[in-house]
Amino acid sequence: MGKIRLTAAVIACRFTRWALRVIGKGGTSLPGEVAVRLYPDILTDLSRDVSVIIVTGTNGKTTSSRMIEQTLVESGKTYFCNKSGANMLGGIAAEFCQNSSFTGKKKYDWALIECDEAAFKTVSKYLDAKCVLVTNIFRDQLDRYGEVTHTLSSIIAGIKNSKNAVVCLNADCSLTVSISDEIENRIVYYGVDKEIYKRTVEEISDAPYCIKCKSQYVYSYRTFGHLGGFKCTGCGYERPSPTVSVREIFETTESYSKVLLNIGGDEYTVKINLPGGYNIYNAAATACVGYALGFDSKTDAAALESFECGFGRMEMLPINNARLRMILVKNPAGCNQVLNFLCNNKERSLFIVALNDNYADGTDVSWIWDVDFEKLLDVDESLSEIWVTGIRADEMAMRFKYAGISTEKIKIKKDYSELIDDIAAYDGAVYMMPTYTAMLAIRKRIADKFGFKEFWK
Amino acid sequence: MKTLKICHLYPDVLNLYGDRGNVTAIKKRLEWRGIGCEIVNANIGDKTDLRDCDIFFIGGGQDFEQEVLLKDIASGKGDAIKDAIESGKVFLAICAGYQILGKYYKTHTGEVCDFIGALDLYTVGQKKRMIGNYVYECELGGRKTEIVGFENHSGKTYLGEGVRPFGKILYGNGNNSEDKTEGARYKNVYATYAHGPVLPKNPYFTDELIRVALKNKYGDDAISELDDTFELAAHKYMVNRLIK
Repeated sequence: MGKIRLTAAVIACRFTRWALRVIGKGGTSLPGEVAVRLYPDILTDLSRDVSVIIVTGTNGKTTSSRMIEQTLVESGKTYFCNKSGANMLGGIAAEFCQNSSFTGKKKYDWALIECDEAAFKTVSKYLDAKCVLVTNIFRDQLDRYGEVTHTLSSIIAGIKNSKNAVVCLNADCSLTVSISDEIENRIVYYGVDKEIYKRTVEEISDAPYCIKCKSQYVYSYRTFGHLGGFKCTGCGYERPSPTVSVREIFETTESYSKVLLNIGGDEYTVKINLPGGYNIYNAAATACVGYALGFDSKTDAAALESFECGFGRMEMLPINNARLRMILVKNPAGCNQVLNFLCNNKERSLFIVALNDNYADGTDVSWIWDVDFEKLLDVDESLSEIWVTGIRADEMAMRFKYAGISTEKIKIKKDYSELIDDIAAYDGAVYMMPTYTAMLAIRKRIADKFGFKEFWK
Repeated sequence: MKTLKICHLYPDVLNLYGDRGNVTAIKKRLEWRGIGCEIVNANIGDKTDLRDCDIFFIGGGQDFEQEVLLKDIASGKGDAIKDAIESGKVFLAICAGYQILGKYYKTHTGEVCDFIGALDLYTVGQKKRMIGNYVYECELGGRKTEIVGFENHSGKTYLGEGVRPFGKILYGNGNNSEDKTEGARYKNVYATYAHGPVLPKNPYFTDELIRVALKNKYGDDAISELDDTFELAAHKYMVNRLIK
């Protein structure tokens, strides 16, 4: 009887997905919701013989997942993953349906699942994960999840559900490391041993006081945000020594970073095929997952050089002479990292922010005031103009005005067609920082006009 | 040159939802008018002299840090804040900062936490948060105006006899989602739940705080007009979206 229901649920899910495609909708969560409704244990059944890697945390989930995917490719593992940002229960169930036979037999050995902390708590009840990566914990869209301590407890609950998983934790994040007190799993730490940037934006620390005793932290170095060599002045809680770490940063350029990566004692000089300090963390996280799962570290290091970046994560979309890079932003910590990158970039460029306030973007846009846009004044001469678009374009324009940018330089372009035509006419580097739904809309317009692939294909 | 000194109270822990943008707004609007601006941060443990500050700002924060904060308030800063309020200094208090100026906070499980007690009001916690864009009407410098912001609070605030509401809710919850009141006014204290931050896209509000502080210090509240095209566009967009 169960077998029949399982088959029915798989078919219903795949049919819904197919039907949505036919009518031109890229919806990614509805088909899975249908399946879960029909057969609540569907995830448990479909994942039984699959080795599941879960990637969670506030920032860097998608890029880390893409890097891990590359290590799976290069080490010859068969796998599937939940691309396209469908990372709630429904979306994940749909991926499992899509990647098993109609009778529920596995097609692939590995599943790489990216999910946000809230979904992790839920899906971990059904999945017996082999490895869990926690990238970091920052303040996210607070209108949805509340406080960082709430995020933390969701992740802890998720790991407690994943009794057999080896857990990879960011040693530089005092919030993430505190998870170790609550769990009994095997833990492998990763981190960055040194400062990354010469100049960095001013940030509010999301964790100035010790999570355990509420005394102030001191830092031997900081990479960004609250990440770095922390130590509590009260109880002595401090950064653990990581097994996988970035020892040296040789070079950071517009298109890559070159680092010395230590993977459990073996050192590799690695060119990470994506710019930005936060991607150095994503690379270390990836190597950590590989190490934790016993993959060959040489292959893992090579994968970091060959992978291509994901959807809206420094993704390059060349349009005529405009070298457009899309950098999805979701919260101040992520946005500050993009600014760190831009402020160390001397090339003449155009900067665009697309700010929406739909549910998936976070309905509260006040976070743009927690981002140190003032730092752009350091590179004012190389910024040809700043354009703003999206539902809250006016708010964004005002933010730049108060950051001290000349109002002459700020252009409000709410019409996407006009915006895209103007980008196409630009000659040089264009950095566009959209929120989630703005990215979907703009990317679709660009895809329609210039023939790039739609993301769900 | 005229100069105003702004004191940002507890920016180390009360720094949520972009509230520091309020300090930026005051600073910029002073600078654009050729008025000097000095900013002092009074963090936990700092022995800042509050007496020579002209405008005080206290913003929203996470519950986690509240314990550290209350200890510091009890060690003397609470009394200094009360004195400053009684002497007519300009205060902008947002969300947690607003609640803390009141008498106490009662959690939804019944625990009572004593606050500064500078304002005759108290807050009761509930499980459900009141979250969203909102708009209220108030009077600033004898002129009726609408203020737009983003509220995000689980505490319901009730006003006593000693204070009056700052505004009347046109869309959203406000103090307690029951009596249509929003925020509180007492002497030169302006307390509200509006994040956003509230000042940049409500430039009349910023200018009102500046005028009152200038009058306090120099006896003259004349300020020059600024080009508010960007600010008013952001303001108007939200007013239209919510109530028009």
